Amino acid sequence: MGAIELENIHKSFGAVDVIKDVSLNIPEGELTVFVGPSGCGKSTLLRLISGLDQPTSGRILIDGQDVTRRSAADRGLAMVFQSYALYPHMSVRQNMAFGLENTRMPRAEIASRIEEAARLLEIDPLLDRRPGQLSGGQRQRVAIGRAIVREPTAFLLDEPLSNLDAELRGTMRAELAALHGRLGKTMIYVTHDQIEAMTLADRIVVLRGGVVEQVDTPLNLFNAPANRFVAGFIGAPKMNFLPRPDGRTMGIRPQHLRLGEGGLPVTVDMAENLGAETLIHGRSEDGHTLLAMVPGQVTPERGDVLSLQYDEADAHYFGEDGLRQ
Amino acid sequence: MSNGGATHYLTAPLRWLARAADVPLRAWQRMTGQGGMIALFLLPNMAIFSIFVLIPLGMNALYSTTGGVEFFLADRPYVGGEHYARLMDCENYLEPRSCRDDMFWIAVWNTARFVIFQVGVMTLVAMITALILNRAIPAKAFWRAVFFFPVLLSPVVVGLIWRWILQRQGLANLAMFEMGLEPVNWLTDRFWAFFAAVGVSVWAHMGFYTLILLAGLQAIPRDLYEAAEMDGTPPFRVFYRITLPLLMPNLLVVLVLALIRAVQIFDEAYVLTGGGPGTSTMFMTQYIYESGFANLLRNPGLAAAASILMALVLVVLTLCQLWLSRRAGGDR
Repeated sequence: MGAIELENIHKSFGAVDVIKDVSLNIPEGELTVFVGPSGCGKSTLLRLISGLDQPTSGRILIDGQDVTRRSAADRGLAMVFQSYALYPHMSVRQNMAFGLENTRMPRAEIASRIEEAARLLEIDPLLDRRPGQLSGGQRQRVAIGRAIVREPTAFLLDEPLSNLDAELRGTMRAELAALHGRLGKTMIYVTHDQIEAMTLADRIVVLRGGVVEQVDTPLNLFNAPANRFVAGFIGAPKMNFLPRPDGRTMGIRPQHLRLGEGGLPVTVDMAENLGAETLIHGRSEDGHTLLAMVPGQVTPERGDVLSLQYDEADAHYFGEDGLRQ
Repeated sequence: MSNGGATHYLTAPLRWLARAADVPLRAWQRMTGQGGMIALFLLPNMAIFSIFVLIPLGMNALYSTTGGVEFFLADRPYVGGEHYARLMDCENYLEPRSCRDDMFWIAVWNTARFVIFQVGVMTLVAMITALILNRAIPAKAFWRAVFFFPVLLSPVVVGLIWRWILQRQGLANLAMFEMGLEPVNWLTDRFWAFFAAVGVSVWAHMGFYTLILLAGLQAIPRDLYEAAEMDGTPPFRVFYRITLPLLMPNLLVVLVLALIRAVQIFDEAYVLTGGGPGTSTMFMTQYIYESGFANLLRNPGLAAAASILMALVLVVLTLCQLWLSRRAGGDR
């Protein structure tokens, strides 16, 4: 249960096309991450799946059933909002019970579901507190708990970690991955943070301007990006792009460059020593900026000319149309 | 000439004033310290507040302990709490005719009835209007302005407009006549006159309270409604489990402000009905005004005592409002 299919989804707001002919197949139990820059349509796509917005055209199927015109509540999905959307005047327990009460579920059943979810998320001591009395991380857990108690066919998570500080984000990311493993439910996760996407996803959907650029596993996206945009978006630091005389562009990741004789001559602008590795900012002979992440501690001076080598197998080539060749 | 140049010339007198005041101000600060400067800057406002509020309030309290018809305090004999005793002398407070000053108690009960109806109806209508204006309706800004417009009118203008509409041969009866209905004595029938006063007051003040409620509604995050939508919450449950509790701080402020204002009802009702027919629309403020200034046997002391009693009611309501505002502020 929880397979989601999108068929030729199109969404316009007035004259602006936000989602353009998107077709996707999200298998049951998979954690799929929608990633892309701001305004790429990833949150809109999630809202279309949730039923909070209606597509202009196209079909949405859940477990083979067309739910395109069904209300959000009738799709059997649960959503975790970026702002958590917890009711501030209700206790954690009331927040978690609210949706279940709508279904006229017996009180005992509601109580048992809340207890179970609270235990799973370790929020049992917080059940009688109000959201205002909780930290960001605790609120996040409550928001997830509210989704879990509904026992949905799939979870939709809209940038759920973006309001947390970096350290907590890392912890919650690991917890979410573990939670997905335990629940085994389909999850669609929206983020603009490609590290979140890479670490959490079974598959990543890269979006740009309302169009799906590539759908693949995190490593496949990293190793074989379908086009120049994906190559530049996935991976940190960003891939270097160097134009070739034949009109193509060569892409090489900073991690794949190393110091060695007879390589690319690069004039150093700045070096950032991170301890285990050094990030060198420089310029190639024809003036293109270049980043190299070399192992160990290197301390070049500004203006030094270094020689950077790479393996041809690590180079990516993109045609004038931006597609991988 | 550049904008900066124009500003330079326009602010020249201010700069001259600042330079002229600089020396005495610095001397004052040296003598009195920071406290003295604060007092100096507060002085103009406090002087105006004293002249128009504090001193009249004190004089009013003094007047309430004096008798006679003279206006100058020095000419008035001291009578102690006689006026208060007269106002409170009642066999049965619910039956004004059993009271020594029956008109005062008629006015008290008329005001109480008015407050209950006016505040109740107005809060309800303001809430419904705010809920509608908070939705994605066409020409939202226009409708917002339409509902707020009467607030900008002078109460006397409001009274005159509605008297013109509701009088025996007014617009309302003309419209009813055109529709084949019997005309109604809106302003000369005891029942209709009271509710005309309530209705006109609601019309005149509703826009202000609608705006407060609308601001409260707009402060409720959209995500909460979307979360409720995902949960399949029926609209009425959304209203009473989400909207109403989150709007409660604004609603309480509206209720108390409307109460305070309704207790002071005078001008539009006085212009509309003149307190009539009989005494059916005579409210507290009208009683005070007529006792003190308009009646043939004017009694400024009695009017002052009545206004002190009314002020006590208003103080209690104002304290309620302050307490509720602070509590709402604390909740946030």
